[in-house]
Amino acid sequence: MTGKGLKIAAGLVLAVLALAAAARVGLYLVEKHEYKEPERAQLADPTPREQGVLDEKAAADKVASAKPYVEAEYRAFPGIGSRVAIWIVAQLHLLFAAFVLAVPIFALIIEFIGYKTKDKRYDRLAYEFTKLLSVSFSLTATFGAALTFMLIILYPKFTNYMMSVFSPTFLPYVLLFFFEAFFLYTYYYGWGKFSPRIHLLLGLGLNLVGTGIMLIANAWVTFMTSPAGVSEKGAVISTWQAVRNFTWMPINVHRIIANIAFGGSIAGAYAAVKFLQATTDEERAHYDWMGYIGNFVAISAFLPLPFAGYWLAKEIYAYSQTLGLTMMGGAFSWLFIIQAVLIGNLFLGANYYLWLGMGRVPGAQNFQKYIKYLLIVVAACFMVWATPRSIIATVSEVRAMGGSSHPALGFLGVMSAKNTAVNILILTTFMSFLLYRRTGKTPTVPWAKTGNAVQLGIFGTAAAIVIGLGITGYFVEAKVRIGLSVPQVGSVLLAMIAITVIDVPLYRKARMSGEVQWGKIPAISQYVLIFIAVTFTWLMGLMGYVRSGLRQHWHVYGVYRDTSVDAFTPTLGFATKVVSVTVLIFFALIGFVFWLSSLHDKKDWEGGAS
Amino acid sequence: MKFRVPLLAKLGAVVVATTGFYTYVGQMVPQKEIYPPKEVLIKADITTAEMTAIGKEIFEGKGLCTTCHTIGKKTGPFRFPDLADVAVRARTRELGFSDVEYFAQTFYEPDIFIVPGFNPGMPTINKPPIGLTDQEILCVMAYLQSLGGTPSVTLATKHHYNGGAAAAVATAGAPATPAAPATRPGEPAR
Repeated sequence: MTGKGLKIAAGLVLAVLALAAAARVGLYLVEKHEYKEPERAQLADPTPREQGVLDEKAAADKVASAKPYVEAEYRAFPGIGSRVAIWIVAQLHLLFAAFVLAVPIFALIIEFIGYKTKDKRYDRLAYEFTKLLSVSFSLTATFGAALTFMLIILYPKFTNYMMSVFSPTFLPYVLLFFFEAFFLYTYYYGWGKFSPRIHLLLGLGLNLVGTGIMLIANAWVTFMTSPAGVSEKGAVISTWQAVRNFTWMPINVHRIIANIAFGGSIAGAYAAVKFLQATTDEERAHYDWMGYIGNFVAISAFLPLPFAGYWLAKEIYAYSQTLGLTMMGGAFSWLFIIQAVLIGNLFLGANYYLWLGMGRVPGAQNFQKYIKYLLIVVAACFMVWATPRSIIATVSEVRAMGGSSHPALGFLGVMSAKNTAVNILILTTFMSFLLYRRTGKTPTVPWAKTGNAVQLGIFGTAAAIVIGLGITGYFVEAKVRIGLSVPQVGSVLLAMIAITVIDVPLYRKARMSGEVQWGKIPAISQYVLIFIAVTFTWLMGLMGYVRSGLRQHWHVYGVYRDTSVDAFTPTLGFATKVVSVTVLIFFALIGFVFWLSSLHDKKDWEGGAS
Repeated sequence: MKFRVPLLAKLGAVVVATTGFYTYVGQMVPQKEIYPPKEVLIKADITTAEMTAIGKEIFEGKGLCTTCHTIGKKTGPFRFPDLADVAVRARTRELGFSDVEYFAQTFYEPDIFIVPGFNPGMPTINKPPIGLTDQEILCVMAYLQSLGGTPSVTLATKHHYNGGAAAAVATAGAPATPAAPATRPGEPAR
């Protein structure tokens, strides 16, 4: 063997030895650290694992098979809780329903005006309003179905109770809903396809059926606030009595008027968007006119709305003083300060839009000089209405004031002052309308001066009655004071009717200083229309909350108690956040409706060429 | 090149800013959560002093009395009678009625007698939505007796509406009895 061969052999031997040593060391380490079963005495297992598992399963099966049926009273909605989930869905359903019920009312009226005057512009306008309906109707139905399922899932026992009280009303409701779909789609798709009279009849049918649906749904919600037709324990005595409970008719009237105001404002917002998107003067003129009509509808319906509100509040008090005082003097009293801010903004927005609109008419300068005085009156009334009776103050401030009411301003926080402020606000806005109507016109009737003087006299008298009774309210007992609001409201209503009756013949053959130049209005006016629509929507959300929240810890006031985890009244701050979220969702969806409706006017797609 | 804000952004800004403003207004008013009234445990061997304390709790909570009534308010307007020193007035309010019988009538049949100058408005206290029990009503009576007087009511006190003898003169359903002392408009009931 050569030396080289020896070296290789020795190397191999050493390598084998090293590997053997390494293997041994590795084995040693593994043995040292591996888990070893401890040594135990060999005892019999009293409960073998397999048998134990089988026993447990058998016991669980036995318990499961013997489990009694228990009706769930409430179920929880993940994340936001059941109440907020129902709240948002119900409010969205109501907003779309209000829109779908309102638009046919003024679409029909506008179509009728077009039919009588043979002016095609009105027919086009009515059709434009109606275009918004079909998608909105689908969204109303979708939210209605979601609300129904959510009530069944989240509030099963209460829903069952309501079903038992109102069982005879559900089938008519479904049938009316079917007829609503029939009338709505034939009215929309049949535009120009039927004789005008048949088409107008379809519109009438749509309105009647829509109102019927609203009356039934109103019976359910008003029963929850002012139940009737049931025993103290909740047993049904008369479904008809349950339907025509204390607040049913006031809510019906209030909702019809409010729906028109809301629908008008949303239609006005649609016109505003189209105006801002318009590329031609013709389009701008058309959508300016449409926006004006939408706003006119909204404000015309808005002016008598507080009177319907008075009636509703009166019926709530008549049903239960406790409920009335909870609303106006208790838990919800501050909500009406928020409401005052909203309504004040609506009046300011509406007046501002009218004043901007005067610029459309040549010769408007004669009237524009009065605007600053009207603005002062509107602002002053707004401030009085938004003055709270008691002020949020520190302990030292309360001591310094001698109570929670401000020594001077506190007197503006009571109902005598607020009733006066809102009535003057209505009169002032009515005067704004009148000025706008007269812009660029000169009456030619021989009794023009007398007519104007009489109108001014009626205005002055109504204002004097409102202010006089407001001041009297501070010096008489509660029993008399509450009654004073009726003549206040009555004098304003009478004044508006009497002045309109004089104004129509007064300006019938008026000399025009120039035609209305539709489309010649600053773009900011269109943002005012959108502001008014958002404010109306928010106001509806807020008042929907107070109508429902008023019951506090009752599902049906005084009859069916809410025992869920949500049986408490949240803070107003929380409520306003929920209202805001609902309003934002609504506007995202109504934006979708506007977009879909505008697709109708786009040219057909032809291989990429638009 | 002039940058133009897209119309959609402008419209969105108006909607969000308006909604944001109203949300802000909502945060500026007093914030209070209102919970359902707590049930008060009334033991059988309760003393008059304990009843008075419990009655005050019910008066301010479950009974909802402070929604309408004030205690010691000096100047108007008053929605309903102020209850300072009501214990004194209750003894002479209706001829032949003890203070206990008078209080009982106002709780169980409130529309029989209306304090002059005020509208009817008191709810029936033992019926929903307030629905106080007979024991709770006795506790509130004890508290009202403490307003200008010394409480004497116990849980054993009987009146016309809890199985006691009828009131000396008037009975439930009797015509309204005019109050002896006159009340000036806008002033607390005496």
